[in-house]
Amino acid sequence: MAVSTKIIKKRIRSIGNTKKITRAMEMVAATKMRKAVNAVLASRPYAFDIWAMVMNLISRLEIKKHPLLTPKSEAKKVAIILVTSNRGLCGGFNSQIVSRALKLADQAETAVEWLAIGRWGAEFLARSGKKLVAVFEKPDVILTTSEISALVKAVTGSFVDGTYQKVFVAYTDFYSALVQKPRLKQLLPLEPLADAELGQVGQASAPQPAAEKNFEYLFEPTPQIVFNELLPHLVTVQLYQAMLESTASEHSARMMAMKNATNAAADMIDDLTLAFNQARQAAITREIAEITGGKAALEAA
Amino acid sequence: MPKIKFKIVTPERLVYQKDVDQVTLPTKTGEITVLPNHIPLVALLAAGELVAKVDGQELPMAVSRGFIEVGKNSVTVLTQTAEGVEEIDELRAQAAVERAKKLLQDVKNKEAVEYTALAGKIEKELARLKVVRRRKHTHQPTIKSE
Repeated sequence: MAVSTKIIKKRIRSIGNTKKITRAMEMVAATKMRKAVNAVLASRPYAFDIWAMVMNLISRLEIKKHPLLTPKSEAKKVAIILVTSNRGLCGGFNSQIVSRALKLADQAETAVEWLAIGRWGAEFLARSGKKLVAVFEKPDVILTTSEISALVKAVTGSFVDGTYQKVFVAYTDFYSALVQKPRLKQLLPLEPLADAELGQVGQASAPQPAAEKNFEYLFEPTPQIVFNELLPHLVTVQLYQAMLESTASEHSARMMAMKNATNAAADMIDDLTLAFNQARQAAITREIAEITGGKAALEAA
Repeated sequence: MPKIKFKIVTPERLVYQKDVDQVTLPTKTGEITVLPNHIPLVALLAAGELVAKVDGQELPMAVSRGFIEVGKNSVTVLTQTAEGVEEIDELRAQAAVERAKKLLQDVKNKEAVEYTALAGKIEKELARLKVVRRRKHTHQPTIKSE
């Protein structure tokens, strides 16, 4: 029996160590989460306002000819930008968004090309033999819009020259520390009503119907010039917002996962301590029984 | 006279939201002042000084490039950065200009992208400097403990 208590003791110690690690990771994730959540909440009004502004303008202007607004029906490929984390240990965060994106890819009638932001998604796509055209590192705590400008330039370029029919972005929308939802958004062509999905804040302040806004706009210098600046910027902002949402979600998911792991470790230690005490008690009882048994045998002799 | 619903938003935060009497904005084609009942307008914001007037009080801000939407008695400014005078540190703004100019010299022959990015930065920093120089000393003679 002595062996058994030794083994249990060893396990308790090892789980104790694991618990320390998960607790530390939880703390780190919590700090990062706070930063990321602040960033995402702060940038939502901007993303929402610029979206509302563009959609309002598009609906009243016959400017549908802009290359970023026109669907490319003749193109043969669809691009999906998959936003995942760099590392694992964040519960179902990565697998949820990946399965959501794969479902979209299965439904697509055309070939799908993948762009990955974050190592986890990149490795997964490479492993499963998907057509991965570009991989971007995901900064841990974000970020400025200039960091994603390369990606934006690449996809808008390929879209405008007719390589891609549509560009989607798969990211995880941040609702709260407990709830994050995988989401697919059409990035290009820019489409009215394709959005309204910038998290709960975006939905809460959904655009008022344009009834009172029924008037003509003056453009300075010209609609073309304004839109040539505005639309590419909007694409950047959309993607930027998606990245912020994903980052906030990732750190929240990781914090929760680590919290659960810490709790599970504590439970296991409790169970094992109980088992350890029982084993120790049993060993003592048996030793006493053996001693008394031996004594009785001696007396009988 | 109705007021104008005025709002400045940047990717980092909602900088300012208030009802004002008039707003003067720098645009790509020159400075404009928006008074109540202005015709709806969409314009490109240039880096420079933006002044909002509330009850005779002027509120100057340094802004960088962005977009302006003037609706029915509403003005929404979407820009990369916007700072009030008291937020700008003159010495740091000056240093930033110098730094960017120096970088620009080195980069000039390299990539066009980098060049425009830097040029934009200088534009922005100069705007900040201009605002702070014009406003800080005349309007708010605050003594700073260094």
